[in-house]
Amino acid sequence: MSAATEARDFLSSYDGKKVRIMEVCGTHTHEIFKDGIRQILSPQIELISGPGCPVCVTPADYIDEAVMLALEKNCTITTFGDLVRVPGSEKSLADARADGARVKVVYAPQDAALYAAEHPDEDVVFLSVGFETTVPSECLAVQQAIEKGLKNFLLLTANKTMPQAYLAMKDATDAFLYPGHVHAIIGTSVCEKLRDDYGISGVCAGFTPSELLVALALEVKGLSKEKPFFINAYPRVVKPEGSPKAVALTRKYMEPVDALWRGIGEIKGSGLALRDDYADFDARKKYSLPHITGRDNPACRCGEVLQGKCTSAECPLFGKTCTPEHPVGACMVSSEGACSAYYLYGRQ
Amino acid sequence: MTDHVTLSMGAGGKQTAELITNVFKKNLTNRFFTADDAAVLPQPDGQIAMSTDGFIVSPAFFPGGNVGELSVCGTVNDLTCMGAKPLYLTCSFVLEEGYPISSLEKIVSSMAETATKCGVSIVAGDTKVAGKGQVDGCFITTAGVGEVVDGVSTSGAFARPGDAVIVTGDVGRHGCAILLSRAEYGIEADVASDCAPLWNPMSEVFGKVPEVHVVRDATRGGVGTVLYEIAHESSVGIKLSREKVPVQSEVQGVCDMLGLDPLYLACEGRMVIIAPAQKADEIISVLKSHDDTAGACVIGEVTDEKPDHVIVETVIGTETYLPEPGNELLPRIC
Repeated sequence: MSAATEARDFLSSYDGKKVRIMEVCGTHTHEIFKDGIRQILSPQIELISGPGCPVCVTPADYIDEAVMLALEKNCTITTFGDLVRVPGSEKSLADARADGARVKVVYAPQDAALYAAEHPDEDVVFLSVGFETTVPSECLAVQQAIEKGLKNFLLLTANKTMPQAYLAMKDATDAFLYPGHVHAIIGTSVCEKLRDDYGISGVCAGFTPSELLVALALEVKGLSKEKPFFINAYPRVVKPEGSPKAVALTRKYMEPVDALWRGIGEIKGSGLALRDDYADFDARKKYSLPHITGRDNPACRCGEVLQGKCTSAECPLFGKTCTPEHPVGACMVSSEGACSAYYLYGRQ
Repeated sequence: MTDHVTLSMGAGGKQTAELITNVFKKNLTNRFFTADDAAVLPQPDGQIAMSTDGFIVSPAFFPGGNVGELSVCGTVNDLTCMGAKPLYLTCSFVLEEGYPISSLEKIVSSMAETATKCGVSIVAGDTKVAGKGQVDGCFITTAGVGEVVDGVSTSGAFARPGDAVIVTGDVGRHGCAILLSRAEYGIEADVASDCAPLWNPMSEVFGKVPEVHVVRDATRGGVGTVLYEIAHESSVGIKLSREKVPVQSEVQGVCDMLGLDPLYLACEGRMVIIAPAQKADEIISVLKSHDDTAGACVIGEVTDEKPDHVIVETVIGTETYLPEPGNELLPRIC
């Protein structure tokens, strides 16, 4: 662990100008808390948790749509487990399930398609959330549904893409700790473009303690040079060209749309929805869902946490009415959410 | 007799008698096993410990064991935790109509084999049959009586600052094996359950170090949950070293993929032992001489700092709380 030890010593003893780094990815947030990395950072280095947990940025509107499909349209909802407990305006999906809705937790979108094949009398909606990393498997599920001739498998999309979010968040931070998994899919040219066109700096990081320490040290060293930079510190996984196959799959089925991020608002072109050719698989279109404007708890400061404007502990609900057992805001639901990590790992 | 379980096998008549003779008596014969309404047993000299546990694992057969073996290990290990030599077990079956007799035979013969391994007698049983779909295959409840070893007194409330925290082998294998044996995860890895009765190695530990403070089997919720229970019951802090917690590499790999912590995965053949630190080496050397506990090691210590918390020393040397378990949506594992 010699490179990591060196990085650790550098990060502890750093006494240059104050720097602010946003870790964008929820898995990074979780690992940084789990490894206790914040504890070793010099007070001159501030880490903020950005909007990279798909559950955390899913707005109440979306949960309301899913609840409507489940309770009013009698659809079977299939979803990743974390979403079940995210509060909607009135109800979470867990509440809907208690009211008799069919809500099934699956581990992959393909399992939802399989369930649809086995239950031809039910309309099966998969809650398609997640970033560039998750979208290809959701597209693959649609492809399987087409191959099997399924007419009862639908996606309710709220997928999001990162590059536009970086631009929207650029003033909140001095540099980004770029999410390694996302760039393993989309490649690194986008980071170079952000550097060249907008002066946005960042380092693409892996997920082990050593990889995180080394990437953070590179960030701080880069920031001291006062010239925009990009470094791929996760080259064993992130290739400059990304994964063309996954990108092609996404492009075939999905197209960019404007998207609402919980707590942040609308970011132009930062979402993905099924192309018109695949409208038969789009739950919104099949059920002509009305436009819903959801309501978050006004006291919840998740939005500001996601933008680095306040820490979890500064939210009046944190640890009081909002806990992992009874989450008020989405950041407390997922283990990748900043509030949940902050709460569970000892409020570092 | 038919090749599958019928409702009449639970009705108490001829078919029930056939099932008892051809499956249960055939496998479980010992001098105490009774066809009467209750087994009449010699009284042990010391204090007795008694425990019961239900087993509804899905699937009933998994890499490294089956529900029958599990049902004996579970109750034997519960008695063992209290320093009690397991003497007698009863078993109660709830079978689903249509369950294959051949599977039931395998389950019962595993129970017999496991019972023999740790010297416990299965002395009485009961069988009920539920209609198709009312239960899933074969549910078993065992109850057991054991004799507490003279001079041994264990409890979750007895951990003291300065004590060593020991696990008897790598953690999380049972929970991981069950997860993998379900097609819904679509992951393949070579992981077998750690399911094992631990009386034999633990009896030697109790013989050499009767002053052990806490022994608890890390079943549902795994080692992490057990440590939190002990931290609360003893009002102490428990400090773990992440690097010292033994985890099979395949188990770690599966956990990384599914976002799980092996410290929260169930074990069915692992004890957490808390004992005075100066006795740790002696305990470990006893455990290492038995196959089922050969991977025993110290993973941490009991402290008076941060009572009610489990603290983890991370691989980079910082300290965090181990998140207190709760809200986990884990499938039926035992």
